[in-house]
Amino acid sequence: MKMKNILTLLLAFFSTMALAQVQKGDLLIKNGTVLTVTNGTLENTDVLIRDGKISRIGKGLRAPRGVESVDATGKFVMPGIIDAHSHIAGSAINEGTSQVTAEVSMEDVVNPLDVSIYRALAGGVTSIHLMHGSANVIGGQNETMKLRYGTTNPDDLRFEGAPRTIKFALGENPTRGGRSRGIQPQSRMGVENMLRNSFTQAVAYRKKWDAYNADKSARKVAPEYDLRMQTLVDIMNGDVLVHCHSYRADEIYMLMKVFSDFGIPKLTFQHANEAYKVAPELAAFGASASVFADWWAYKLEVYYSTAYNAAILTENGVTTSINSDSGELIRHLFHEAAKTQKYGNLSDDQALALITLNPAKQLGIDNRVGSIEVGKDADIAIFDGHPLSVYAVPLMTFVDGVKYFDKSIDKGDVRLYINPESSIEEVMIYDRHDDHRCLEGANVLSLEELFSNKK
Amino acid sequence: MKSLRMLRLHLVLLLSFTVLQTSLFAQSDPTGTSAVTTTYAITNATVITKPGSEMKGATVVVKNGLIIGVGTNVSIPDDAEVIDASGLYVYPAFIDGMSNTGAKRPDNLPRPQNLFTPDPPNDYAGITPENSVLSQIDIKSSSITNMRKVGFAISHSVPYGRMLPGSGSLIVLNEATHMDEIVMAKDVALYAQWVGAPGAYPGNILGIMAKWRNLYRNAENHKNHTELYAQNPAGLPRPVNDRVSLAFHPVIGKSKPVMFDVSSMLDVRRAMRLQNDLGFNLMLSGVKQAWDLVDELKASGTPIFLSLDLPDEPKDSKSDDKSDEVKSLEARRMEFYKTHVGQAAALQAAGVKFGFSARGASASKIKKNVMTLIENGLSADDALAALTTNPASMLGIDQVTGSVESGKMANLMVSTAPYFTKDSQIKMMFVDGTKHVYDVKEKKAKKDDSATEEEAPAAAGGDALVGTWIYELVTPGEPQGGKMIIKKEDGKYTGVLTSNDGTPDNDMNNINFRDGELTFDFDIDAGGQSVTVVVEGSISGTEFDAQASVSVGGQSFELGFTATKDGK
Repeated sequence: MKMKNILTLLLAFFSTMALAQVQKGDLLIKNGTVLTVTNGTLENTDVLIRDGKISRIGKGLRAPRGVESVDATGKFVMPGIIDAHSHIAGSAINEGTSQVTAEVSMEDVVNPLDVSIYRALAGGVTSIHLMHGSANVIGGQNETMKLRYGTTNPDDLRFEGAPRTIKFALGENPTRGGRSRGIQPQSRMGVENMLRNSFTQAVAYRKKWDAYNADKSARKVAPEYDLRMQTLVDIMNGDVLVHCHSYRADEIYMLMKVFSDFGIPKLTFQHANEAYKVAPELAAFGASASVFADWWAYKLEVYYSTAYNAAILTENGVTTSINSDSGELIRHLFHEAAKTQKYGNLSDDQALALITLNPAKQLGIDNRVGSIEVGKDADIAIFDGHPLSVYAVPLMTFVDGVKYFDKSIDKGDVRLYINPESSIEEVMIYDRHDDHRCLEGANVLSLEELFSNKK
Repeated sequence: MKSLRMLRLHLVLLLSFTVLQTSLFAQSDPTGTSAVTTTYAITNATVITKPGSEMKGATVVVKNGLIIGVGTNVSIPDDAEVIDASGLYVYPAFIDGMSNTGAKRPDNLPRPQNLFTPDPPNDYAGITPENSVLSQIDIKSSSITNMRKVGFAISHSVPYGRMLPGSGSLIVLNEATHMDEIVMAKDVALYAQWVGAPGAYPGNILGIMAKWRNLYRNAENHKNHTELYAQNPAGLPRPVNDRVSLAFHPVIGKSKPVMFDVSSMLDVRRAMRLQNDLGFNLMLSGVKQAWDLVDELKASGTPIFLSLDLPDEPKDSKSDDKSDEVKSLEARRMEFYKTHVGQAAALQAAGVKFGFSARGASASKIKKNVMTLIENGLSADDALAALTTNPASMLGIDQVTGSVESGKMANLMVSTAPYFTKDSQIKMMFVDGTKHVYDVKEKKAKKDDSATEEEAPAAAGGDALVGTWIYELVTPGEPQGGKMIIKKEDGKYTGVLTSNDGTPDNDMNNINFRDGELTFDFDIDAGGQSVTVVVEGSISGTEFDAQASVSVGGQSFELGFTATKDGK
């Protein structure tokens, strides 16, 4: 089959998916303190939402007939929080059996029944980047989602039109997998080699298909199709944004060199605890970083860290976000953003951008979400106080102008599916085991094994 | 004193003389090999020819495997064995949409040495679409007799395996001297599951979805190449004889559907997603959660077989000081149970036709489960359609079976009462014209006698199962026995089987006790090989009457198992 045909098929496929009916709301949010992120703070301001989009921002707006209004007097209205690194709402996280799995995609395994979605909404989050795990050098494709909780159809959670993204991983996680299986990579050198080999193969693959497509003969035989190689070609063509799990400055620098060599322009480093060491280089490359506020020391490569990371990166002109990577942290990302004011004196807008506009840029959806602007999607959270205050409590969360969380009418038990054979004792508010799934399915070695010379 | 040790010895013996022993063991199976005639006239019966259509005082004539007459005015051939079916009910025998009936699970492949986990060999990865269930069929399998005993004449049997185990075939549930006799249609659908390879690619649903896409695209290319080559090979490379791609050719050409075994709602959606992406003809089976898929099922017309395995009805805590939260959690759990057992009725009401698949359901529970669906809104006619006409048309065999009509296969079930009533029992089965007769228990009388006994433990606040039982296992030698001690902790049963000669106790596993039906299994060591004995039966008062089945070395045996509750 011609490459063009494949693309057409893929396009048709994605466009049918985009047709999945999602609800769009109409609403007037009255008299709130609107934190626009891109246009400062607007006191006593109304936000009118029509058909899921922000249609007007101003004072004294009237609700058109049939449009409900919410009184936000004394309350704070901010763009919905975006988590650029999450593993909630996935039925599987890691295809850990191979060190290159570019062909797999989280969009196949979205789990709309995960109650963590509702918990995230209760923390003002409206979009997440459901990432593949970090057991592989080149992991799977991620899925950018809107948290439209309540549906059983995974397609309804899709962020229609969001660019494709993919997970890469450097350092200890992929080398652990390699060591435990006795395959490449077993060291950081192996990781780089594997990246270069993979893209070199993809160049050859592209050449083969280009030649096939250029062949005018009716009697031609297609080369072997390889979804893995095709995805790498798509990355080189700039159609897939790379989000790379990384910690150390040396490996961050290494990946930028590899990407320069293969002409891959778009790159976000995830975690990136040592990114502050190479902040100017990141800015020069145009790479961005998605980091934790103050979380480290959970393995050897994550000891050299600072809570000033996000502030240093921001001041150096690196597009920076703060992510959760956790079903628990995701509920108070606004606290995490506020920490950059304690460590680094970021302004309110800078701090808020870390969890709104900047992750939106990193996911290629900043034309749609990330700030309160006319024409953008009405993904909005309302807090009872300033969200950068530790006393602030999220009250309501809207996606496309539809309310998915309202603290005043919270039901408590919001599970969508219940196993009739479950025992009642099993129900827990928070289960730590859900937390760290980035190495799911991977064989994990102990520290002793990791640093032993024995195979 | 006799014991499990004796059973162990017997099993070792059985392993060496399997064929001979099996024939001795075939218990309730008048195989028909000694039948004087293969012509039968079932007279004076109430015949349910198909769902919603009934004839009273009718005769069904069966000859040479076919129904040759149905009605109140049909002539009875001279050579017919006349079966007076006064008071009996004749139904079309059931058709199972998907199970492993007759198939023997192959041994797990050993992990290859130096396995390169990113790219394991196809057989280890579970990619064997070129296989057929026929390579796994064991004509002596007890699953064939078990399914027949509960009303089925045909199973769509699928192979064991992982993501692409091979193709399923329609099996006639009869005894045979050679497998060919019971194969009704070979390789009717390519069978698929979301089962990854252990510690190798594809390891889970992520890899399986991607692998499917890759395999399918390459199979499409391979098919194009093969066709081009067939037209004129000059100047073209020879197409590789790729077994996997070749197995997909009829799927791509839509002459063969893909049957996915998908129980959860999300698993169903993923199969539909793949179908939408790749374009093959899809069939769904083993489905347990379809209530949110009505629109999609209606729009696509995808054939669907609901699982006959139902969840157990939840039991609310009896505690008096339950918190409101626990009460509401229990209420929601019950609501989901009701949704689950009510979905068949809901699908029917929405106009979605479905059949049933037996995989994962214990044969002895099938009738009870169908009755549960009926109690939750499914009409008896629709239940019968889901067991007969619907699967027949979905599997493309409605021309030959699924109803009691002249000219169709003689697949009949004879019941002592309208089948979808509590006390009905199957008295006879005709499968492909072969008669099978079953003992009918006089349930009523027994019940009256034991009523007082049954009530006694309940009144004392006890549990009908908990306590010490004296059991007896009927083996080819002398009966063996010991104590069966069952406890209940936190709503869960635990138990052990002791042996009278003092050999170590055996733990009872998977104890399941509902509505008087008890099932459990235990493992014994038979000459270095661990063998699981499955016990299924019913408790009436202080009596437990059961059958123990053992599957060993590809052969299955059934033994009697009885127990009496100790009065103390």
